[in-house]
Amino acid sequence: MTTSGAAAPTAGGMGRGVTTDEANLIARGVAAAVAPPGGLEPVQVSLLGAVHAAVIGPPVDFATLEPLGPVELAAALASRPTTFRHRVVHLMVLGELILRPIPSEVARNVERYAKALDVDDRFVRIARRYAQGAFGLAWLDLHQSGFADHWEHARMDQLKTNVRLEDQLAAGVEDIALAERWMSFAELPPGTLGRSVWDLYRSRGFGLPGSVGGASAYLAQHDFVHVLADYGTNLDGELEVFALIGRADPDPKGFAWLATLIGLFETGYVADAGFFTGDLRERRLDRVEMHVRIADALRRGQHISDRLDTDLLDVDYHALVERSVADVRAELGIEAKSGAAASAGSPGAFDRAGMSRIQQEYAESLGGEEAR
Amino acid sequence: MMRFAQGIRVRSDHRDELVALLADWDRSQATGEVMGYIGTRLLADRDDPGCFLIIAEFAEVDGDLTPAAEAERNNRREETERWAEQLRALVDGEPVWTHYDELYRTGLTGNLRTG
Repeated sequence: MTTSGAAAPTAGGMGRGVTTDEANLIARGVAAAVAPPGGLEPVQVSLLGAVHAAVIGPPVDFATLEPLGPVELAAALASRPTTFRHRVVHLMVLGELILRPIPSEVARNVERYAKALDVDDRFVRIARRYAQGAFGLAWLDLHQSGFADHWEHARMDQLKTNVRLEDQLAAGVEDIALAERWMSFAELPPGTLGRSVWDLYRSRGFGLPGSVGGASAYLAQHDFVHVLADYGTNLDGELEVFALIGRADPDPKGFAWLATLIGLFETGYVADAGFFTGDLRERRLDRVEMHVRIADALRRGQHISDRLDTDLLDVDYHALVERSVADVRAELGIEAKSGAAASAGSPGAFDRAGMSRIQQEYAESLGGEEAR
Repeated sequence: MMRFAQGIRVRSDHRDELVALLADWDRSQATGEVMGYIGTRLLADRDDPGCFLIIAEFAEVDGDLTPAAEAERNNRREETERWAEQLRALVDGEPVWTHYDELYRTGLTGNLRTG
């Protein structure tokens, strides 16, 4: 195979300019990197296949690929920029993070591929710690390397708060001015971003940012994305919204969101992340439908990254609350969900199916008019 | 692969400082190279106030050294020696070091999907 027909390397996105040959080489390398000694697990075949088809190239069957070694993969991607190769490594990490436990051989193998691709990635290291059973160190690493970077760059004026929390994933504290600002969204016309996010909070009984126990001003940013990207607020919806947010971040560190939520909701590698708490009663990523939905969220995030080149959690949504949701979606480049994701059952932000059981019960307690 | 544990029994009047020392160590290890050290616990003896047991755990890294050998390697690191000096400054007398091979642990059984 050859990559001689490849278009010019992109600035960091993955789908554009990837030839069928190159896409196959990537798939072969990823599959070889993450295969346990007994071969790829069915969940890996399904998830990696869905993600590959959504963000890289034509569909391939990961179960039947000829292995491609790290040196060969590195040679095939030699002309690609670091960010592109970094995203390939994150595909590998995604393919190992869904294993429980992660076999040491897999974690070491992914590290070999990352080194060959000249990618220094903290999530490769975190996966190695998971494989060792060093979950506490892995969480410290994830926390210090991923989230801390994010909120240190968050602007207090943009978040409309004067309260600086040491941990923005922890529940918020009282901030009267912030709470009043969020309360004022109720007065905005229906269909505006502010009113819609108010409706989202109201219908679920969420504590407002600025109130004790509500989301921090920083974490509340992701609730605007729930509305804009039209994702539910149950655990499936959180996986979708953070897959999109993480991939939309032009900095590969955004992968921290998906890595953390998979650890919280799927494998248990992360016991508690402050505002979000782990729930392993039902495996979410065992379902093919969720693989399609996550893949589509990554595709949409990739499009946003190419178009916006800004972390969605750094957007000044407070300056946009009076505009219509459709208008803001268009400005940020948030595409509609794919037909495949819709067919896989991805509920919208205001669909009952997108609520957790507790949220549904709360919505029902409000009566039909407000529950939507 | 079973792990290796190092016990360090100390007597000290500086409980909070011991906690801080271990937390600082973990923060420094978390973002560094993957080593054999995988975590620690600090236990206070209820029957003997002022007596503490630190249990540091080690696992394989690259498959070429046993967890016990990784612990030996860790002991030879300069930062480990500096840490031991800081520990000695907080305790009365010389710490008592003990070494254990793990024979059983509650938890994952190795099945990839069922744990």
